[in-house]
Amino acid sequence: MDQQTNLPSIGIVSVGKLGNLIPRVVAANIQGILDVPVSIIGEIEIPEETFILERRQYDAGLMLKILEEVSTNHFCILGVTYVDLCIPVFTYVFGEAQLGGRTAIVSTYRLQRGELGETISESVFYERVVKVALHEIGHVFSLYHCENEYCLMRFSSKLGALDSLPILFCDRCLFLLKRLIRS
Amino acid sequence: MGHIRILVVDDELIVRESLIGWLKKGGYDVDPASSGMEALKRLKEKEYDLIFLDIKMPDMSGIEVLKNLKESSPNSLVVMITAYGSVETAVEAMKLGASDYLMKPFEPEHLVLLVEKLLQQKKLIEENLFLKEQVSKRTKYQELIGSASCMQKLFEIIEEVASVDSPVLIRGETGTGKELIAKAIHAKSPRRFGPFVAINCGAFPESLLETELFGHEVGAFTGAIRARKGRIEIAHGGTLFLDEIGEIPLKMQVDLLRVLEEKRFQRVGGREYIPVDFRFISATHKNLEEEIRLGRFRKDFYFRLNVIEIQVPPLRERKEDISLLAQHFLQKFRRETNKPVTTISKDALNLLYSYDWPGNVRELENAIERAVVLAKSRILTKEDFSFLLRPKLLENQVDEPKSLEEVERRHIEKILNETDWNISRAAKILGLNRTTLHAKIKKYGLSHHPRTN
Ligand SMILES: Nc1ncnc2c1ncn2[C@@H]1O[C@H](COP(=O)(O)OP(=O)(O)OP(=O)(O)O)[C@@H](O)[C@H]1O
Ligand SMILES: [Zn+2]
Ligand SMILES: [Zn+2]
Repeated sequence: MDQQTNLPSIGIVSVGKLGNLIPRVVAANIQGILDVPVSIIGEIEIPEETFILERRQYDAGLMLKILEEVSTNHFCILGVTYVDLCIPVFTYVFGEAQLGGRTAIVSTYRLQRGELGETISESVFYERVVKVALHEIGHVFSLYHCENEYCLMRFSSKLGALDSLPILFCDRCLFLLKRLIRS
Repeated sequence: MGHIRILVVDDELIVRESLIGWLKKGGYDVDPASSGMEALKRLKEKEYDLIFLDIKMPDMSGIEVLKNLKESSPNSLVVMITAYGSVETAVEAMKLGASDYLMKPFEPEHLVLLVEKLLQQKKLIEENLFLKEQVSKRTKYQELIGSASCMQKLFEIIEEVASVDSPVLIRGETGTGKELIAKAIHAKSPRRFGPFVAINCGAFPESLLETELFGHEVGAFTGAIRARKGRIEIAHGGTLFLDEIGEIPLKMQVDLLRVLEEKRFQRVGGREYIPVDFRFISATHKNLEEEIRLGRFRKDFYFRLNVIEIQVPPLRERKEDISLLAQHFLQKFRRETNKPVTTISKDALNLLYSYDWPGNVRELENAIERAVVLAKSRILTKEDFSFLLRPKLLENQVDEPKSLEEVERRHIEKILNETDWNISRAAKILGLNRTTLHAKIKKYGLSHHPRTN
């Protein structure tokens, strides 16, 4: 796990029992697109304090703070969870990240079905998880939202919008991302 | 629209943090305020495009902040943030001028659409404000620059006066732009396709002024070997502008009065009456009423030319125009001299504001020209205008110059000082064009050095 490369490495943590497959798919895609080392750190339990009773959801911001403690030798830690995440001002989020920070998180909760609750294919599901993960990692690398319709940094809070994105950053965002990764 | 600035006012840290966090990811410039008081403090320092304002806060309610801010920052758009159950207050806020409200927690999509909508709205408002400003406040009217309200009024008067054909008397101190006003009236009048003919009555001795104005026939006087048209004749169909009308000798006032009344005249030495049709505009910095009392100006002539009177305010009464005029002249002389002088420093502007400008806009124009010609950097500083602070110096040459160049240098310097560094006048006196004079000033490194004693 301690690869001594100059590149920053990204560690993936399952938050709650998620199985092996999802973290592996995410890891492979991030590595493929960003060209940085990615490792799977392991699994932690869902932190109880992140549960918001009135909303029956989990506090994404608090999750990010807890993830920081998981490992110190990764530039970025990405949590993957199946619980429903939210932030104080939003009714839900697909994922969350600290802009220019160290941690990001993705929830599969709202990605498993279609907008009307219909079932979807596995590949669509995995694509969604990967897209949200890459988007949030983009924020960790200080990227802002992008107006380009075909860029992963476009803010998409709806499944339809998320599905219409390719698994790609636009040239500008990719350029910034690579530069930030290397600096 | 440039960078977008947003203020988030909420007493709850987590709400503030999460909303600000999201807005920052949009690349907006976001500031927090944890109370109404803090918000008002921030608003004094900075203007915001968008303000998110929590309705319930302990020190000062969002509604109070809103009322306050509609006065202090009328251009900011406000979104109220409410908790479940306070929608009524939100509606009240909308009546007080808030643009919209959001109930915590909100659908992410809702916020995106709202921000997009408001920024679009903001852009439109700004464009409209810009257009409105352009309509109500034209800072340039023909060749005249002026944003002061007295100048705006003057532009309106010119607009009205231009359409009627009556004589106009323009009164104002020297250098206030009387000739430019006369030109503007002409350019706006139905006679604009005719000639604009100007003559400075103070610049000619009596006999010459007469032939200048009326022209002459062959043999009218010794040396009149050819007939010549006077300015009156040349002005036919257009506008005749007589500057310094107070300088016209009494006898010629009679002649001119007759031309105005009969619309015909005779050349000097001629018998034939030549019909003319022109608009008559005159200007003076003299107190003509006083001149009449002293018997130096004819009352009947005065009434004839003073049908419409335009009073031009001196520059010291429209100091807010100084910066605009200074920029305008800076551009002009930068182009003319090809010197890369781009800016006037704040210090320098302050000095220009504090000065009294007895020579009005012309003096300002000359001051800028001089500063540009002598400037050593891209920015005109207070030091570049220090000549405004110094007493006028008296020329007293001691030793005789040896070389021709030295004679030239001294002579140019002398004339410059005599004309108070009025480059145009100095150039005229020296028989040079301004560009050549600029070059010589540079070559000899001339500047205005005061000498003690
Ligand atoms: N409002 C103005 N905007 C731009 N330039 C101006 C303005 N007023 C005056 N000037 C400039 O100042 C100089 C003097 O203007 P002008 O000759 O019209 O003044 P004047 O009142 O006729 O002066 P005088 O009574 O000495 O003949 C000109 O170079 C003119 O271009
Ligand atoms: Zn995002
Ligand atoms: Zn992009």
